[in-house]
Order: sequence, then C-alpha cells, then structure tokens
Amino acid sequence: MSTLQAQRRGAGLTFRQKLSNFDYKFSPYLYISPFFILFALLGLFPIIYTVNVSLYNWDLLKGQGDFIGLQNYATTLSDPMFWNAFGNTFSIFLLSAVPQLVMATIIAAVLDQAIRASTFWRMSVLLPYIAAPVAVAVIFTQIFNQFGGPITGLLHVFGLEPIKWGYDVFPSHIAIATMVNWRWTGYNALILLAAMQAIPRDVYESAALDGAGRIRRFWSITIPMIRPTMIFVIITATIGGLQIFTEPKLFDGQSNGGSNRQFQTIVLYLYEMAFPRRDFGRAAATAWILFLIIILIGLINYGISRTIASQDIKKNVRVPVAGTRRTIGGRK
Amino acid sequence: MKFSRRTATVAVVAGTASLALVLSGCSTDGGNGGNSDEPITLTITTFGTMGIDANYAAYEKAHPNVKIEATNLENGGAARDDAYAKIAAGTGLSDVVAIEEGWLSTIAEVSNAFVDLRDYGIEDHKSDWLDWKYAQGTDADGRVFAAGLDIGPQGLCFRGDLLEKAGLPGDRDGFAEAIGGENATWESFFEFGQKYTAATGKPFYHNPSFFFNSFVNQQAEGYYKKDGTTLNVKDNAALKGQLDLIVKNANIGAGLDAWGVAEQAKADDFAVYVCPSWMLGVVKGYYDQGTTGTGWDFADVLPGGAANWGGSFLGVSESSEHKEAAADLALWLAEPEQQAAAFEAAGPFPSTLKGQELVKSATDAFFNDAPTGEIFANRSKGVVAQVKGPEDSNIQDNVFGPVLTDIGQGKYTNGDDAWAAAMTLFDQLIKQ
Amino acid sequence: MTTTIDRRPSHGGLHFPDQDERAARKRKARFYDRPGWLSYALLAAFFLGAVFPLWWSFVMGSRVASDINAVPPVVIPGPNFLENVLKAFQTVDFAKALVNSLVISTAIAVSVVFFSTLAGYAFAKLSFRGRNPLMVAVIATMAIPTQLGIIPLFMLVSELKLTNTLGAVIIPGMVSAFGVFFMRQYLVDVIPDELIEAARVDGASMWGTFWHVALPSARPAMAVLGLFMFMAAWTDFLWPLLVLGPKNPSVQTALSALNASGGHTPDYSMVLAGTVVSIVPLLVLFLFAGKQLISGIMSGAVKG
Repeated sequence: MSTLQAQRRGAGLTFRQKLSNFDYKFSPYLYISPFFILFALLGLFPIIYTVNVSLYNWDLLKGQGDFIGLQNYATTLSDPMFWNAFGNTFSIFLLSAVPQLVMATIIAAVLDQAIRASTFWRMSVLLPYIAAPVAVAVIFTQIFNQFGGPITGLLHVFGLEPIKWGYDVFPSHIAIATMVNWRWTGYNALILLAAMQAIPRDVYESAALDGAGRIRRFWSITIPMIRPTMIFVIITATIGGLQIFTEPKLFDGQSNGGSNRQFQTIVLYLYEMAFPRRDFGRAAATAWILFLIIILIGLINYGISRTIASQDIKKNVRVPVAGTRRTIGGRK
Repeated sequence: MKFSRRTATVAVVAGTASLALVLSGCSTDGGNGGNSDEPITLTITTFGTMGIDANYAAYEKAHPNVKIEATNLENGGAARDDAYAKIAAGTGLSDVVAIEEGWLSTIAEVSNAFVDLRDYGIEDHKSDWLDWKYAQGTDADGRVFAAGLDIGPQGLCFRGDLLEKAGLPGDRDGFAEAIGGENATWESFFEFGQKYTAATGKPFYHNPSFFFNSFVNQQAEGYYKKDGTTLNVKDNAALKGQLDLIVKNANIGAGLDAWGVAEQAKADDFAVYVCPSWMLGVVKGYYDQGTTGTGWDFADVLPGGAANWGGSFLGVSESSEHKEAAADLALWLAEPEQQAAAFEAAGPFPSTLKGQELVKSATDAFFNDAPTGEIFANRSKGVVAQVKGPEDSNIQDNVFGPVLTDIGQGKYTNGDDAWAAAMTLFDQLIKQ
Repeated sequence: MTTTIDRRPSHGGLHFPDQDERAARKRKARFYDRPGWLSYALLAAFFLGAVFPLWWSFVMGSRVASDINAVPPVVIPGPNFLENVLKAFQTVDFAKALVNSLVISTAIAVSVVFFSTLAGYAFAKLSFRGRNPLMVAVIATMAIPTQLGIIPLFMLVSELKLTNTLGAVIIPGMVSAFGVFFMRQYLVDVIPDELIEAARVDGASMWGTFWHVALPSARPAMAVLGLFMFMAAWTDFLWPLLVLGPKNPSVQTALSALNASGGHTPDYSMVLAGTVVSIVPLLVLFLFAGKQLISGIMSGAVKG
C-alpha cells in the first residue's frame, strides 16, 4: 500500500519504482500497437495507395506509366461493362439478401420456441457455413448443371425443358444467389435468434394475457424489437454481397463471369481488369468506386438505423457483431 | 523488377513490413547457385494436355542430380493468369514456363522476364524448327525468349458412322472429297453440313467459334497488320464475311455453348469438329481412357486452306536460380525426339522438321486408326505464320467469343447485327 | 415443457455476464411458445435443404461421372469414393494444399487471437490517454472492406518477395479489427477491476498481470475467436489465388483448379470427391466445436 501511495505522490522513487511506473504508463500502448501497426500497413495503406495507382497508366507487367489524373475513373464510369457488372452485382445481391433475411427470420422465430433438441437444430442450420464458397460454388455448379444434375433431372421428370443456368442472365443470377443463401441463411438465423432471446419474456407473457395471438405477437413485439439486429444483418450482408467474387468466378471456371458476362460482378470485373487485361490503373479505380459505393450504402444504413433507434424507446438493444466475414476475403 | 518504377512509398512500406516478416519468423528462401552435379530441383509449369510427363522421367534418368517438379494447369487461360501475376511480382515463376501462342506477343513485350536462349546455344539448332515458329519466339531486339514446342495444324474430326447413316460419304477420303478436298472452302463445307442436317434433322456441328478462329488464322493478316501493332479488325471485310456465313448456317449448329460438350458428343448431337493437333487429346478426353470404335475419325482437309492455330513454347525464367540447368531442360524438351514423344502421348504436333519426320507413320486408334502423323504433316504444308499482337487472345476470347456464343444460341438472324455487336465489344475492350 | 435454452456455463461456451443476468431474469418469467408440427416440419425441411447438397456431393463423389445425368437424380452412394479421391489427389496437389491450408489457418488464428487478446485487454482493463478515440478507430476499421486494397497489397507482397510463399497469405491476415473488438467486449466484464489492482499491489508487472490474470479468463473467448479465424482463413479464395498460385496451392485454389481441370466437361465424380475432401476438416471441427461456434455467433454485444 505504501508503495502505491509513494508512486502517487511521485516522490523519492527507486529505480524499480520508476520502472514500474514506466511499465504502467507505456504497456497499454505496447499492447495495442501490434494491431494498429499491422493494420495500418496491411489494411489501411493498400486501400489508400489504391488511389495513387488509380491516377496512373499502370500496366500489370510493365509497371507504372504516366500520370493521367482521373481518366481511369472516367473510362470506368463510361464503360458499359462496368455498369453491366454493377447491375449483376445488385441483382445477385437482392436475390440473395431478401429471401435470406425472410428465411432467416422465420427460422429464428421457429427456433425461439421451446424446441426439443434445440442444439441439434441449431447445428443443422449452421452446417452449410462450414462449406467454403469455393466448395459451395463447385457443388451448386453441378446441381445447376444444364446438361445433367439433379435440377435438370427433376425438370425432366416433370416433362420440362432444361433451364440454361450458365447462359441466360436471370437463371444464372438465381443459381449464384442460391449459393449465397444456402451458406448464409442459417448463420444469420442464429444472429436473429440471439436478438429474439434478448427480448424479455414477460413482454410476450403480458401480450398473451391481453389476448394477442402468436402471429400478432410476432409482428408487434418480435419484429420491432429485433429491428436493430436486422439492420446489422443487412449491413454485413451488403458489405459482403457487393464484394461477391468466388461464386460467379467458379460458376463458369473458363471465363470471368459467363461467356457474355451474364454474371460478371464488380469484383470479378476488377479481377479481369487487373490480371487478364493487365490494367492496374483501371482496376484500382474500380476498387475505389466500389469502396465509395459500400461506404455510401453503409452511411445510408447507419442513418436509417439511427432514425429508427431514436424512435425506439427501449434502451440497451443488443447489436450482435459477428464481423469475421469482414476479414480479408472472409466472406467471398 | 516489374514495379521498378514504383514510387518510394511502396518500398518504404515494404521495408517496414519486412519487420513484421522477421517478427513472424517467415523468410524467403535463400539463393542456391548450382554446380553441375549438385542435386537440384527444377520447376516447370505447363497447361492442358501437352504429353510431356514421360519426357520428364527420361530427363531425370539421364540427369540423376535433377529432380523435376511439374505443375500442369487446367488450361491456357489459367497459365496466362498465373504467368502474368508472377511476372508482375518479379518472383514465383517456375524455372521453365510453357507459353501459349495466343499470349506470346504480350510476353514478348516483357521478354526480359525470360532468359535469352541464345546464351544457351539455341542458335546452333535454329534450323531444326520451322522458320516461322523460331521467329515467333524471338522478340523485337532479337532475343530468343521462347523455344517452340508444338504447332497447331488443323484437320477435321468427324463422325464417320453418323455421316454414313445420313447417306453421306463417311470414310476419311470420301468425306474430304465431298467438302471440296484441297479446294474446300467454308461455303462448300457448310453446304455439306446443310445436307447432313436436312437428311438427319440433327445438328452438324457443335460450336461455331472454331470456324471463325480457324478462318482468322487462315488470313495473311489476322487481328493485327503485319507490323504486329496496327489493329486490323474494323472494316475488315473478310472477317465480316465469315461472320455472315456463320450466322447464315447457325441452323445446323447444336445451339449450345461449350458446356456439356462431352455429353453431347456421346449423345451423337453433332458430327464434326475443327481439330488443331492439340484438340485430338481434348476430344479423346470426352470418353474414358482407351475407348475406341466411337465413330470418330480424322480427315486430311480444312476448308479455306492450311492454317496454324495455337501451339506452345517454353521459356526459362530470368529469376530462376538454376538458369543453366533450366535452359538445358527446356531446350532438351524442345528437341525433335522429345517433341515426337509428346505427340505420341497426347497429340501436339512437333514444330521441328525432324520431329515431324519421326511421327510420320503415327496412327491414332481412337480416330479409327487415322494416320495422324501424315495428315498433320500435310496440313502444315503451306502454313504461313501470322503475326499476332498483344491483344490477340483478348480479341478472340472477349470480342468475337461472346458474339459467336450468341450466334450458337440463335440470337442473331443476320450477320450485320452480329458484326455490330462485335464492334461494340471491340470499342469497349481494346485500347486503340 | 416450457424449457428455456440452457445458458449455464458449460465447457468453453461463451457467456457474457450481462447475458447471465438476462438468463436469470428469464428463469423467473419463462414464456416460450410450444412449437407445433409446422415448426418441426419447417426445421426438418431446412435441415434437408442444408444437408442435401453436401450429401449429394458425397453421393456423386462415390459414383461414376455419368451418374450426374441420372433421372431421377442419384441419392445413394456408390463404391468409387476412394478411387475418385485418389484421382483428385493425382490431378492436383491436394496433399500439399491440405498441409498449406492447415499451416496458414493455424498461423492466422494464433496470431489474430494473440494480438486481439493483447489489444482487447488493454482497451478493456487498462486506462491510458486516447483509449476511447482509439477504440472508436478500431470499430470504424471493421467497416472497411480491406479486400479492395488487393492491388497495392499484391505489389507489397511482390516487393517482399513473398509470392508463392505461405507468408504472402499469413502476413496480411495477422490482425483483425473484429478480433480486438470481440476480445475487448468479452474481457471488459469478465475480469473484475479489483483483480487487476490486486495483482498490481502484489507487485506484478503489467505483463505478469496480463499473463497470469487476463489470459486465463480470456480462454473461452480466445477459443471461439480462433475457431472463426481458422475457418475464415481456410475458406478464403481470392487472395490465395493471387499470391499462391498453382505451385503452392491452398485447399481452395486446389479445388478451384480441380474444378476447371476438364474444361467444360470435368470428371464430375472426381471433382465432387475432391470437394468432399476439402470440407471434411471443417466438418470434423464443426462436430467437435459446433456449440462454441453457435455461442460465438450468438454472443458479442454492444451496449447502447
């Protein structure tokens, strides 16, 4: 005790005490510095340096060329193939995000009951999450094989013509969205389930005593109470969904998003630009355009959720954060 | 090397990040200069079905100190992406790298990533190769950065059994004659196809892109003028004429893209295939190994005259730690005897005259015992090498490729629309 | 029959203290609906949907390629699984890929867990100038799509001559903002401030306090974070594709090459057998640690 008081008075310190003081003051910085240094070098710097690359003629093989200002941005924004990729990305995103959220909410609501063998069911909904996007893409490419595979087989049983999953635009988007939905629905259901379980049970109980049926309770208690979590799920799905790469890349391994770019997404466009087409400058410009789109959508989401949050009287809403999917390539 | 003109920033960050490297205990492997008898490992990256695995074993046997670590990539596109990434990185290329003709001209622009094979004596064997093949591996400064391996003379693969059922000549000479023999044109070829479809109600061919690509290779100047830098696509009446012809004959195509081709082949869904030498192995791959009697045959004819399509080269990476040994391996693999062995194994036709001589009597059991060696030798007579430009494979894959797929799918009813679509893609994709 | 989910601490499960409070509240008023047959039917349907693609790839992987055309689709395994796996191993270097991915994923998991625990502990329990703004910075960086920095990162890795080495994948994955956040959230409640003060009074150094007090308490969260990081690294594709390449593949790049091996007509059975092989390690992990994964996904809380 006396040591401590002595330190606080800051007088007559021995060398050991000085050392201990130093230890006390600087250790926290030492502990957080590896994260900040490595993140700055390997996370932040590349993003920022992308701007520099995007301002030059920059060939993959020949390296940096002339400074050309914003020309790479202008070329990209006037390239119909960029907008094709943009449209495909949003189409696939909507086809995955919307059904995924609906299904995840339903499954979460079902699990938020006195279910027997709840651990088994929870594990079963999470099972697809262990299959990597590459594996998912390989499996579903065969399931959606136009010339065989279970779906064509089923269509055949019902006397229907095969669908050209790999050639027609909309079917290809459905196939790719199905891969995303299959892998992520259960994962999101568990996040929503956590939010549902945080709702005090007496709220339900008193509503039930007032004669509110299950459906009524679901709409007027569950949904409003889990809204912040749903917004969180939407935000992460957006950040991941707009960067989708693996599934469309592997859906037709011989091309970069289909023979006629039917399902080329923005990151796939970026990849094609950077490597097969060797234009690092335009690839960097594309990266930054996508970066701004994601930030913009993130801010809009944030705005909406704040508006809703300020309307909600309830405090201490849980917003689960499962950001593992946001590490480098973590999701796609 | 590639980012040598990098700004200082990356270097500084790289320097700082090396710290992280040291901290994490990772290190790049140190150099290892080689005495000639010291045990060394040579890496080689190839693609597709090149048929050289047996050659590796033979080389290792003759050079007990050499271990060959081979990586075979699924196709030329994957090999291209990998080579580009590794050249850009300045490290990571295999000691010996297979290069496809389609992107050879892009590599030629950065040919200093590969050693000058003249330093390893390639000039002494210059006369082994077809002149044009040797010239293709030489860059603007006269450095020989790639040694020719195989070439792609083309004949027609066809289903004799199906043709006979349709009441058409199904033996290889009869078939060749029926579409015009030495004077066969694309018009006469399609006329024959129309007869087949009229008689059977079945598609004649699988995918029209081959007819276009073959045609391009038959021209004195393809997508580029002879200088290799001036584009030759816009207002190219010959190319447009071929596209017209293909659209007119889309009715006898299987109406499918490249997917499921094996299933369709087995289901007798088409009867003919343009076959560059490297394609024989691909068609065989549709069936289980050792299958014969499928009805496939190979004819000594190509509408529009002889032309080369594709082929590969071997380069030795400048960043290799064993350049001398690697060059020795590459040049050995490109020798006539080894080219002949590769042909026997998988079908790529030798680019050396002696190699062609060696395989003259070769036949192929899968293709109804067709004398493939002799046919390819005939098919490579009169081939004039076409000058390729840096965007050649890009134009083939991304400008005309999608349009030809769409033609196959029946999207176009007239050639003008197809041509306009191709030109739109051309303007979007190719820096002019 | 109105059982609540058991939230008592079990081996390794994650339990944020505020959840335990809620659980206590819940025990007082447990009002849960009884599921009807429709609920079970829905769960069963979802279960089938989750399992079918995996089951079907095993079925196809154990038969011959042409069975893909079977009408109706095949659902019973055949005898050729090992043969197909063998073919897959001959076509691409799966053995090397499995070892590589194991090394990469383990290294990333260990590194992220270590640095995250260290930083998370500092943020949660130590007071220092700038703590709050720096923590906000950590949260903000979680929203940055770092994947979009691949071009300079590629150049950086090239400068360091790391191309084709496992370091090219490990080093960019060594830290994670999410990890720091996750550990901070856990540690802020789980270690009483008095404990740290007491250790200090006893003359323990800062490091000693971290090592002997913080680390043991952090174990459950470290395990869960490690699990997530391992899985994220195992399933990553784009970055290994760019910097590793075919000579030194990861499981995912090897599988991708296997998938493309036959052009448009791969040997489906071989490809799907290879796919099963690529999934098995995580499947095993899932069977042993699925509960922790679930608790990890369901935990983690920002207090409003």
